[in-house]
Amino acid sequence: MIEFKNVSKVYDNGSVALDQVSLHIGKGEFVFVVGASGAGKSTLIRLLSHEELPTEGSVLVNGIEVNRLAKKSVPYLRRKMGIVFQDFRLLPNKTAQENVAFAMEVIEAPRRVIRRRVREVLDLVGLIGKADALPKNLSGGEQQRVAIARAIVNRPLLLIADEPTGNLDPDTSEDIVEVFKKINHMGTTVLMVTHDKTLVDMMNKRVIELDDGKVVRDEQRGGYDDEN
Amino acid sequence: MKIRTMHYYTVAAFQSFWRNRFMSVASIATVAISLFILGIFMTLVANLDYFVENLESQVEITVYLKDGATQADIDSVGHRLQALPDVKSVTFTDKNQAMDILKERMKDQPGILDALEGKNPLPSSYEVTFTQPEAVRRTADIVADYPEVEGTHYGQEIIEQLFKITTIIRWGGIALIIFLTLAMLFIISNTIRLTVFARRKEIAIMKYVGATNWFIRWPFLLEGLFLGFIGGVIADIALYQFYDFAVTSIHQSLAFLPMVSVYPFMYRTAGVLLIISMVIGAIGSTISLKRYMKV
Ligand SMILES: Nc1ncnc2c1ncn2[C@@H]1O[C@H](COP(=O)(O)OP(=O)(O)OP(=O)(O)O)[C@@H](O)[C@H]1O
Ligand SMILES: [Mg+2]
Repeated sequence: MIEFKNVSKVYDNGSVALDQVSLHIGKGEFVFVVGASGAGKSTLIRLLSHEELPTEGSVLVNGIEVNRLAKKSVPYLRRKMGIVFQDFRLLPNKTAQENVAFAMEVIEAPRRVIRRRVREVLDLVGLIGKADALPKNLSGGEQQRVAIARAIVNRPLLLIADEPTGNLDPDTSEDIVEVFKKINHMGTTVLMVTHDKTLVDMMNKRVIELDDGKVVRDEQRGGYDDEN
Repeated sequence: MKIRTMHYYTVAAFQSFWRNRFMSVASIATVAISLFILGIFMTLVANLDYFVENLESQVEITVYLKDGATQADIDSVGHRLQALPDVKSVTFTDKNQAMDILKERMKDQPGILDALEGKNPLPSSYEVTFTQPEAVRRTADIVADYPEVEGTHYGQEIIEQLFKITTIIRWGGIALIIFLTLAMLFIISNTIRLTVFARRKEIAIMKYVGATNWFIRWPFLLEGLFLGFIGGVIADIALYQFYDFAVTSIHQSLAFLPMVSVYPFMYRTAGVLLIISMVIGAIGSTISLKRYMKV
């Protein structure tokens, strides 16, 4: 599903965000990416979505070499992945279901399909009762569910989340991770960047730790800290 | 493109028009005023061209013969004139005939002619008309070199002056067009930039969920086209009214002045202005999108 081959990323200002990273993540895996602030986690994600290009090495998503992709093919790559952020990034003047539907409208899905699919994913994230609420009338956890619903509404192969629980309290964070788990069970590969030790320890999934741009740990059933 | 997508674009374009109504109105006004000025220049240049052309087609050369010219000389000049290219007609006026014409014209002031004391200082002459206005100057130069010819006269000074004026106006017009175009581009791109700024979150989300660049671009392009179009229509209406009024009132007071008739000239000018306005609208919005369209 995802493959990094000797990937380095040096930003224009000279800061080295990734240093010779090689990784393989299979289809249907659930992976946590952990590491100190500035370790290069967000950079890793930006390389997947073609927001940044690697300075060296190659990044493959579903067999496509992202760093070699023609500009006009980038939108089609992004349709294969759903992305969730710490700050939700919802449109404030659209209701929950309009926010979700927006992701399908901009790829010109048929209206009938949109209506059915939006209800499906709102149901999946447990927000069917709040479909017509505006973001400002939703709690942080609910807003993040809307964002997750939007990320998966186009049935991506890969769900990427950059600190999705960073703004949420522990209980709500657990609920959100449960949603990710559910999505993962339905076959979607999940890549989640987090600083939340409790969540990582609780889930007992694969953990990749970055430090100073390097992979320093990659455990199949790991915890947040290296405990060996 | 799907109907619903068009609907989305249109709604988005009108929403941003309304959100930035002050800037939108300012852009429309700038486009309208600029295009109106542009239109006035186009009209002015067209009319000057028309005027010069008109004048040239009416120009005839008067060829004055030397005082001592014999009948043989006179006939010889007449034959040579006839043989020149593009000459339509050659009419001879004897010096006595010329005197009669002068007397007839001066019959209200007989005193003036008394000063001549019966002498006739007027030369014999040929009037030459042409089938091609361009032949006037060329022929005048040739004929002036004939030994029997004293000199030639045609409206050369006026025509040359007019040519100079038209050239100046044309160059001034081009400079003005460049300046006005930049002004229009500046204000439209700044208006759209406000919209882009207001929608930057939406743009970012659209990118993350895989909207194509064209899908993102269209509403802004539409807004730019719309601003340009409305400005263009206002300029067109104003120019049409203005020219229609100008032609009517000039015909009343200066009936001899030839003017390009309103139809089809105004329709063509209006069309050109409208196309310019929309092209500028499109370019203006493209400029302001550029920064947000990468990634
Ligand atoms: N756009 C950028 N331009 C220049 N340097 C950058 C840019 N983005 C990140 N960096 C630098 O690259 C390094 C890695 O940053 P990155 O955002 O990937 O870290 P992170 O692991 O996501 O950190 P955090 O946990 O704080 O989000 C840092 O040193 C950062 O300063
Ligand atoms: Mg980060």
